[in-house]
Amino acid sequence: MKSHPPSDARTLKGRRPPGARWWSRHPLMRFLTRRLAVSVLLAVGVTLVTFILTNMVPGDPATANLGQQALGNPAIVQQFRKEHGLDKPLPVQYATYMGDLVRGDLGESQQSHRPVADDLREFVPATFELAGTALLVSLLVGVAFGVIAALRRDRLVDQFLRVTSLAGVSVPTFWLALLAFYLFFYKFELAPGSGRLSPALAPPPHTTGLYTVDAAIAGQWDVFASAVGHLMLPALVLAAYTIGLLTRFTRSAVLEVLGQDYVRAARAKGLPGRTVLLRYTLRAALVPVITVAGLAFGSLLSGTVLVEAIYAWPGIGEYAYKSATNLDLPAVMGVGLVVGVIYVVVNLVVDMLYGVIDPRVRHT
Amino acid sequence: MPITSGTTRRAALSVLVAAALSLTACSGGDGTSSSGGGKALVIDTSFNLKTVDPGRMYEQTGLLIDRALYDTLLGFKGSDVSKPVPALAESYELSKDGKKLTLKLRQDAVFSDGSPVTADDVVFSLDRVRALKGNPSFLLEGVKVEKTDDKTITLVSDKPNPSLPFILPNPALGILNSKVVKANGGAAGPADKAEKYLNGQSAGSGPYMLESFNVATQVVLKANPKYWGATKPVYKRVVLRNVQSQTQKLNVQRGDSQIAVDLTADQAQGIGGDKQIVKGASANVFFLLTNRNPSVSKITSNPRFAEAVRKGVDYAGLLELAGEGSVQAAGIVPSMINGSLPAAQAPKRDVAGAKAALAAGGITNPRVKLEFPSDFTLNGLSFQPLAERIQANLKEVGITVDLAPAPIATALESYRDGKEEMGLWWWGPDYPDASNYLAFLPGGLVGERAGWKKGADKALEDAGAKAAATSGDDRFTQYHQIQEQLNARGPIVPLMQPSLRLVTAGSLTGLAVNPVWNFEIAALGSK
Repeated sequence: MKSHPPSDARTLKGRRPPGARWWSRHPLMRFLTRRLAVSVLLAVGVTLVTFILTNMVPGDPATANLGQQALGNPAIVQQFRKEHGLDKPLPVQYATYMGDLVRGDLGESQQSHRPVADDLREFVPATFELAGTALLVSLLVGVAFGVIAALRRDRLVDQFLRVTSLAGVSVPTFWLALLAFYLFFYKFELAPGSGRLSPALAPPPHTTGLYTVDAAIAGQWDVFASAVGHLMLPALVLAAYTIGLLTRFTRSAVLEVLGQDYVRAARAKGLPGRTVLLRYTLRAALVPVITVAGLAFGSLLSGTVLVEAIYAWPGIGEYAYKSATNLDLPAVMGVGLVVGVIYVVVNLVVDMLYGVIDPRVRHT
Repeated sequence: MPITSGTTRRAALSVLVAAALSLTACSGGDGTSSSGGGKALVIDTSFNLKTVDPGRMYEQTGLLIDRALYDTLLGFKGSDVSKPVPALAESYELSKDGKKLTLKLRQDAVFSDGSPVTADDVVFSLDRVRALKGNPSFLLEGVKVEKTDDKTITLVSDKPNPSLPFILPNPALGILNSKVVKANGGAAGPADKAEKYLNGQSAGSGPYMLESFNVATQVVLKANPKYWGATKPVYKRVVLRNVQSQTQKLNVQRGDSQIAVDLTADQAQGIGGDKQIVKGASANVFFLLTNRNPSVSKITSNPRFAEAVRKGVDYAGLLELAGEGSVQAAGIVPSMINGSLPAAQAPKRDVAGAKAALAAGGITNPRVKLEFPSDFTLNGLSFQPLAERIQANLKEVGITVDLAPAPIATALESYRDGKEEMGLWWWGPDYPDASNYLAFLPGGLVGERAGWKKGADKALEDAGAKAAATSGDDRFTQYHQIQEQLNARGPIVPLMQPSLRLVTAGSLTGLAVNPVWNFEIAALGSK
């Protein structure tokens, strides 16, 4: 039987024994392992809750998916139930689903007649491209606006940015999406139309599912330009709320840090303004900002449902809505699982960023 | 303060640069008018689409697409659905007893791969539709398809079926290239695995071929270079995009698309300039169901209640809600289908008559529940305002209506199971023949849902059976009489046909609205 390495391998003459899994003792790895184990349990919980809730909805998937005439034929209804495993008791259905899930099979959508995994492979990158761009824009613009507002406290720029950020968090996304489309697409003809690409262009070869990235990889620059053009307006609309939120949080966080003794000391020492801002002020202010950014990603995901509808953006929002209204259980479960995993990953990333930004977190 | 001077300016500059880059990226326009060396057409519609495999397809967007991909044995010319016209079959003849339909096949029709369309392809395609037990299989229920010789096909029905020539143009009965489909997992039975293949490429003889298919975003068609028909498609490429109605309006106004399919009356108002608006009554019929089953309702099972409702509804008010182009449904058969009742015979509001009907039935202070789908629109119309208007109308008569909206998946189940006391629903034609509406008779699909069991009205059932077996124009008179009786004593109250409107580019030609497949893509051209 293979023996285990000593409990603290690194202490043996200060050297790592060959082959020893020293990295598994690293606090970060232990933290990650724990979080991953919890994440798996969470994912199983998500499937169970989604399954129970979907089955509690009064309604029959056969009724929702078959035509009126087909519903009048018991043989067709029976075949539908059999094809989709709906003729079995609910615990058996769930056990079958979980068994298939372990093998990477998410079932077949009753709506699209395709494997749910194929649907998700197509729709999730579209939403990720939109929400990811919106988050990136939000972070860049929101943090910059927040810093500017704090540094120019109570001046005209600050007043303007406070009003702007208030508008960003107050205006309903659906309304803003319609207004922006009307103004920038129809009235001023600045933005391209709906969808991810011009209808004259074929999508780039699938590598990541992100059209901008795939087009760049394939060197299809006309497709790349079209993909970026189609992405910007919905991403900016989606980002409006998060920009407002981040501006307000960054402003108050920076103002709080600016009043700290160590910042005054740094200024008194005569350190350059840039150093004081970036290394002393912004770094300390970023911890609450990252917390808010993590939470904001959730609102971005929910906001995509509305923005996707207006901009004909083929993401999981539209897919989830159609699946839910048609009681398409495998698709609803698949979307629930993906969204659950995204939340878990975002929380994990936020926790890791705390450690990067604030050394005190690493040592606790 | 040293912190603010240079750093603020740099931060502000960064934001401005980012904003400028974003706007620059946004400013690209879409070149949609041409692609691949030929003319391209962009159609915006809100997708109701699951598949384009004809054997499994029965959704509105699928019907529109498959009409362009697959030829059928018979067809209709433009909007005229009064008489089937030759397509892959150059002629047809129905036997006197209405049970045997003989079709002569054209000999010059070819599939998109150049191979000829044969009688074997016809038998395979139609057998497959029936054997798959999918949504469209009811179209050929009780019909046996036989190849008499290489040029002749016979369809033998187990009971008189004079409506069969009106059923055959349905795009679900498109003829497939059997060799290609079989080579890709196709079979005329439950073992069929060809759907994935047919959602990737078409195997038909229609004017277009499938270039790409995405159930959520867009479907692209390309012209079939080997199309055998006399009129070749004008557009080399057709892009159908899944777009919500608000966005459709702006797209067509700016010229980003050439057709917007799903605009409501309100949305279409104010569209002018060089755009065309093709409008008319839809073939969908909204109706009220009153349940005749006493175990479901003691009130609605009284025939006088339906009479009171029929006389109590303000039809003109409903048409106001539905917008310009909508018409009152005189009977359950819509106005564009042979056998529909003349508009002059449509029921009229008679509040005093409605109250008298309640009194004659011994119904006092009735209170009923009206169920309807809350998350579904038909021709741009929501059910909620219609239900509210009906509630107000019937209140004047003395009937208290409690509204019970529900998601369509839930409401449908109650409707299907015949448990609704009162329901607000619609019926769209499966094929443009009055026989499709025999479903509203006792024991029929909708009749059962209204608790109107077989044997409940023997005279009406006999009239229905006779009309179903009658060939020729005589049967239309019979359908008139059936609807008059339905209006006099049935549990269903036909309300109206909503308006249907298509907004198109001014240069578009050849648009003809059809009650089954909406319009024919291959007939579209430009000035």
